[in-house]
Amino acid sequence: MSVNEALDPKASAQTPEDWQPKILVFACNWCTYAGADLTGLSRLQYPATVRILRVPCSGRVNPQFVIKAFQKGVDAVLVCGCHPGDCHYTTGNYYTRRRFLLMRRLMEYIGLEPERLQARWISAAEAPKFQQVITEVTEQIRALGPNRKLRDVQWQQWNS
Amino acid sequence: MFTFQESEIKNLLNALAKEYKVFVPAKVGDESKFVPYDDNVELYWDRNVLLSVKDKFFPHTEPMYKFKTKRKTVEIEPLASKDEPVLLFGVRSCDLQALNCLDQVFLTKGFVDEFYRTKRDQATIVALGCNEAEDTCFCTAMGVDPQKGNGADIQAYRTQGKFGMEALTEKGQKIIDILKSYLKEENLQVPETQGFQLQPDMDGVAEKLKGMFDAELWAEVAPTCLNCGACTYICPTCHCFDISQDVRGEEGFKYRCWDSCMFEEYTLMAGGHNPRPSKKERVRNRFMHKLCYFPERYNMLLCTGCGRCLNVCPVNLHITSIIGKVKEAN
Amino acid sequence: MATMEQLTLQLRETAREILESKKAAAVIGWEKGTFWYTTTPVVLTKPEDTERLVWNEYCLNNLAKYLLDFQHSNEKVAIFARGCDSRGINRLIQDKQIDRDKVLIIGLACPGMKDDKKARELGQNADIPLAKKCQECAYPDALVYDLWIGEPKEVAKPVPEAKVFPEVEAIEQMTPDDKYASFAANYEKCLRCYACRNVCPACNCKECIFGNSSKEWSAKANNLSENMFFALTRALHVAGRCIQCGECERICPVNIPIMLLNKKIIQDIDRLFGPYEAGLDPEDKMPLGSFEFTDPEEFM
Repeated sequence: MSVNEALDPKASAQTPEDWQPKILVFACNWCTYAGADLTGLSRLQYPATVRILRVPCSGRVNPQFVIKAFQKGVDAVLVCGCHPGDCHYTTGNYYTRRRFLLMRRLMEYIGLEPERLQARWISAAEAPKFQQVITEVTEQIRALGPNRKLRDVQWQQWNS
Repeated sequence: MFTFQESEIKNLLNALAKEYKVFVPAKVGDESKFVPYDDNVELYWDRNVLLSVKDKFFPHTEPMYKFKTKRKTVEIEPLASKDEPVLLFGVRSCDLQALNCLDQVFLTKGFVDEFYRTKRDQATIVALGCNEAEDTCFCTAMGVDPQKGNGADIQAYRTQGKFGMEALTEKGQKIIDILKSYLKEENLQVPETQGFQLQPDMDGVAEKLKGMFDAELWAEVAPTCLNCGACTYICPTCHCFDISQDVRGEEGFKYRCWDSCMFEEYTLMAGGHNPRPSKKERVRNRFMHKLCYFPERYNMLLCTGCGRCLNVCPVNLHITSIIGKVKEAN
Repeated sequence: MATMEQLTLQLRETAREILESKKAAAVIGWEKGTFWYTTTPVVLTKPEDTERLVWNEYCLNNLAKYLLDFQHSNEKVAIFARGCDSRGINRLIQDKQIDRDKVLIIGLACPGMKDDKKARELGQNADIPLAKKCQECAYPDALVYDLWIGEPKEVAKPVPEAKVFPEVEAIEQMTPDDKYASFAANYEKCLRCYACRNVCPACNCKECIFGNSSKEWSAKANNLSENMFFALTRALHVAGRCIQCGECERICPVNIPIMLLNKKIIQDIDRLFGPYEAGLDPEDKMPLGSFEFTDPEEFM
């Protein structure tokens, strides 16, 4: 999209009334995914704004996954994994931690609001924490509005 | 010849803008390129633009058609081209000759590329002569006359604080008619282009290259090349493209976009075979295409001497030095 | 102090001797280019060709990348190296792309190279400034070498210092929308020619994600979103490995300030994980290839 389209105030006025945030969660298989599962089993309610993508370890999350997600139109990305020291693969999340710190700062540097890329350690037993995190992030993104930066608008442009 | 004062140019461009979408050479930040005219544009006449007019006829990315699958059938919807008369004001002879090369590729030999043809038919071109060559220019060596654009609708000149124009076709005459009230009829002395430093000797090069496919020359020069695509994308005659699709569920767009023979996957085939596996084959192909294969097929060189690749190549691998080496080779 | 012309003669002699005695099968250096402000990297295999070598203030190209062409040959390659080239060579060694013992490094002390674009503009008699990448260079002299051209210098083991870049800090102060507008304006120009990737010593993957369009990570289509995907992905792929040679920015055909992204990452690495310079020593731990139990964790 051109710069003007990304920052056009009229475009934000076009946010439909029924807009819901779209949040992509990279959930590590052994901890966060199990924790999310437990949240469901415990019948704890959390907003249906979340799309969960299971990865074997949070260390699997590459920068290109995150950027691609924003290209495709998600409003926020959440990278979640085991607590440091508890990684199923022993050291995977230590690498995640370093990689994520740099990625997050770079995204902020190019103008993406910092709330749109976040990370949390959520273990398999922390069902309430998963509920809490999703609810919190959803509210933050709802306040920020839909994300237009980095978005691929080729399709819309060609359709018009 | 019809002339007008250089200071009047904006009035004339505004008059033309009523009938055409006018593109002018302009300085945009650190670069120069053809942009749609408006009063705030910083017109740029001193040198040729960095980004040529190629993309006005052969865009970087161009959607071709839309498709939708419905059970076992596919619906195809061709995308309508914009119906819009376009005027390109100030195209240099080298870039105009490049368009002639593209015409050969897209309009001849039995298949007419409709996307290209529509844009080409809708465009009126005002060529601008060059009074001074840059150090990287060598159009005269490639058979291009810097003060006479081959195929222009109007030939314009810029000298002594005035612009001069000569209509060469009916389309060009139409422009003169629109601008009649601004123009004065007078004889303007057209200066001879000065300052050429590079004069590669093209005599017999195309013929000689026919026998040089296996020459040692390629193994010697290829290692320097980085195999990026800078030369191909900046070149006004390069026309290779890839066809790709943007698919969402059951709908999609088929589009074409620029591609480069310098990229490794350019000749990569299904199954993994690559007939141009290393730098040597790709570098050889590039120069053979420009100087031998294209002249053989279309009777014109695919290099017009604009010198952009000399400017842009990260490692200063210059086509002029390749030509020199070809001439020297046994 | 020998002049560059005198050193050129020494360069040629050294290269000739290496090729004649078969100490290496090829020598990588620079030769005279088409214009007075250009030189071209060259790979020479014949001793008599070494007369073509030059050493002057327009030897701007980083030679390290050419070693990748010899990855699969059994022969030894000689290469001239200043600070930036030697860091590029260390980069390739550390990334396990070449073996140290296959490379014969001929060290040079670099006075700084001149800006070839300005040279073209200003003419031969003007006072040409140093190239931007050379103005910011912290390690002009070769850090690793087997032979040395000119007066050998005592090069102390470099100790990395935390870097702060004013141009990066200036951007950090802007509002998110202004930051995005600034980056978008730059990357709209991108042609996706991949010159920056091909010149970068840290970009040495056998198969690049951007050279594999069948995998569809990146479309060949040119639009702002795809261009930013390329720029950000490449910046993060070389994170912690960028040697700050500045070649990417120098050669971009449309003058995109590519180093703004790389410098931001370098600055953050220094702040978060301790001062680090890529390419000083192949034995160093790489920031993203290692971790500490005490790494910062501001988001928990």
